[in-house]
Amino acid sequence: MKHVDVVVIGGGLLGCFAARNLCRWNLHIALLEAREDVCTGISRANTAIVYPGYDHKPGSLKAELCVRANARFDALCRELDLPFSRCGSLMLSFGEKADAVLKKKYENGLSLGVPGLRLLSGEEAQGMEPALAEGVTSALYAPTAGTVNPWELGIAACESAVANGAELCLNTRVLGIGRSLEGYRIETDRGLFSCRAVVNCAGLSADRVQELLFPAAVHIAPDAADYLILDKAAENKPTHIIQYEPEDGGKGLSAVPTVEGSLLLGPSERENEVDFAVSAEGLSFVRERAARVLPGLDLRDTIRSFAAVRPNPRRSDGSSIGSFVIEHPDPGFWSLIGIKTPGLTCADELGRHLADQVASFLNAGVNETFDGHRSGVKKMRGMSREQRNAAIRENPDCGEVLCCCEDVTRAEALEAIRRGATTLDGVKRRVGAGMGRCQGSRCQQKLIALLAQELGVSEAAICKDGAGSEILGSRRYEN
Amino acid sequence: MKTELLIIGAGAAGMAAALSAWEAGCRDILLVDRRDRPGGILPQCLHKGFGLACFGTELTGPSYAEQLAQRLKITNVRLALGTEVLAIDADKTALLSDRYGLTELHFDRLILASGCREKSIGALPVAGTRPAGIFTAGQAQEMMNLRGQDPGNEILILGSGDLGLIMARQLVLAGKHVIAVVEKEAHYGGLARNFRRCIEPYRIPLLVRTTVTEIHGHGRISGVTLRRLDSGEEEQISCDTLITALGLIPERELVRKLGDPDWLFLAGNCRRVHDLVDSAVAEAERIGKEATR
Repeated sequence: MKHVDVVVIGGGLLGCFAARNLCRWNLHIALLEAREDVCTGISRANTAIVYPGYDHKPGSLKAELCVRANARFDALCRELDLPFSRCGSLMLSFGEKADAVLKKKYENGLSLGVPGLRLLSGEEAQGMEPALAEGVTSALYAPTAGTVNPWELGIAACESAVANGAELCLNTRVLGIGRSLEGYRIETDRGLFSCRAVVNCAGLSADRVQELLFPAAVHIAPDAADYLILDKAAENKPTHIIQYEPEDGGKGLSAVPTVEGSLLLGPSERENEVDFAVSAEGLSFVRERAARVLPGLDLRDTIRSFAAVRPNPRRSDGSSIGSFVIEHPDPGFWSLIGIKTPGLTCADELGRHLADQVASFLNAGVNETFDGHRSGVKKMRGMSREQRNAAIRENPDCGEVLCCCEDVTRAEALEAIRRGATTLDGVKRRVGAGMGRCQGSRCQQKLIALLAQELGVSEAAICKDGAGSEILGSRRYEN
Repeated sequence: MKTELLIIGAGAAGMAAALSAWEAGCRDILLVDRRDRPGGILPQCLHKGFGLACFGTELTGPSYAEQLAQRLKITNVRLALGTEVLAIDADKTALLSDRYGLTELHFDRLILASGCREKSIGALPVAGTRPAGIFTAGQAQEMMNLRGQDPGNEILILGSGDLGLIMARQLVLAGKHVIAVVEKEAHYGGLARNFRRCIEPYRIPLLVRTTVTEIHGHGRISGVTLRRLDSGEEEQISCDTLITALGLIPERELVRKLGDPDWLFLAGNCRRVHDLVDSAVAEAERIGKEATR
């Protein structure tokens, strides 16, 4: 049995940030993740927007955390050494009804103190963003909106937590929770943990994890959504995040110019689906909306489509809940159940919020040695010629481009593996290899060899992501 | 660093362009390639059928590449392998990266012979999951023939261009079960010769007017949904591997923003997709001369 102060269940964005913020206190923390890597569930597929916060009810936790989190986002990404693009957002209306919705959002935003909000005329919006369709009647401009790579953020938080003493336990699935003398006993497929407090960030399973010991008043009704990614070379991409508020009140569309330079389009919405499987209807919906709002896009520039799952919190009577749900069924037990938009924006704030409560319950002292700075993988792509040349002189692997679409070198892939990537997707999420227009068809085979060599296993054992996703057949050809 | 003629890509077209430029009198030629051997994709094309027009006999890909490489050896064309071209600037400089450092290379004229890339399944509006076990045909060919990597056992091939047909045969010969080659058009896409040689003798089913609409499987691919385009009928079939031959896209990313300056020439498959290496070579020879004038 392993004894720690706090067990954090779930290594998604929220769990990683909860663990990182718990490290600000003198606590021994274990972060349990059922899968082979962190950020493989909800965190790996979403709209990647850092919201300005004008949408939420004044006085709600969402409103408070979102506006504050947005203001702190530059500092957070500087501290964690990852790219953040504060590109601003334009929410578009094409008629009177949606104009009124935008005006309400604008006023709500003002009352929440969202900085820089402006209501623009259609001409003004088109002046800012020439790629927009004709007929925009008004637009809500939020200069503080931005975008970040969600899994890069989560992985950075996890690395920061581990650097500050948190213990990361991968491939560790929670099977049962009971009481112990200290507080709680967590039974996993990798042994027992005993702890004084539990922070449950189990994402889509958070309600079921809480029910291992306590009843849950809130349940998760997942729904799925589909997205498209257009190549960074696509023409007529917007430079702001474009959000479309349809006149009929239906589902809109977001177009996000990502930090990698591609364009993310979506989401569609499908109720009651748990599967990360793309639907044909969802794809046509996104394509149709994109063509309507950004008619200059050529959707043949699509390089990938994917599905996301969102954890909608529901009360036992089935009614949906608009606010963040933090269940606290026992003095030492907290559950984040059904944290959806703006969960990415608020991940650090939620983690801080929880960590403070846990620390106060455990009477923990401040960890004076906490250092929030984390260094990201040195990416050749963003370097000046001088820097890049110096890097190659120091390490020849920096000169060998492995993924030619995204300009990722052998040195970066090796560093991803050194930092814990054991799968192709693990490397992709850490350094971007295989994310570009050829979708890994030119680098995957090299990465398989590199992973096998570094991990000391056969190439046939290398997986795309989780167990059972072996990429190669079993037979080896001899040349 | 400076060179008169820079050629990017040491595949068939790049080597042929270099040879003809040399013969036309250009004495300062640098040929660069990201791979660690010349030949482009030829070394992974182990089958015969190349070179009837140029060499009067049917060669395999590796021997075709070898023929050109041997001829290059008796010239002073400099060959820089393992070298990635990161950028081409309008002021006629190329930024090269290799394991020794970054080089800014000034050139007078440039022949881009960067070939093509394969369209990946991500570009299609296909529903379902995104599991392991999906490869492009060229990727599978490289895996099997150059890396000793096995793509899988129960294989469906989507797309009946030459690469799809040739891979179907190779997979059968490697003891794999090729369930079918699926083609959305009414007729296979590749050359009749390849259909006769690769599909007919092995009785590999060709399903025309058919496409894949959904991918199934968690972890590894477990099957796909096929749709008959004429009847709309759908059928789910099991497979553990999907190989896509969806077409080739000329790789011109490096010069996309440059317009059409008089110092830039395109040769081979990045200019237009050729059915035969011989025709890419013939065209490249013409362009090598043109770039030397």
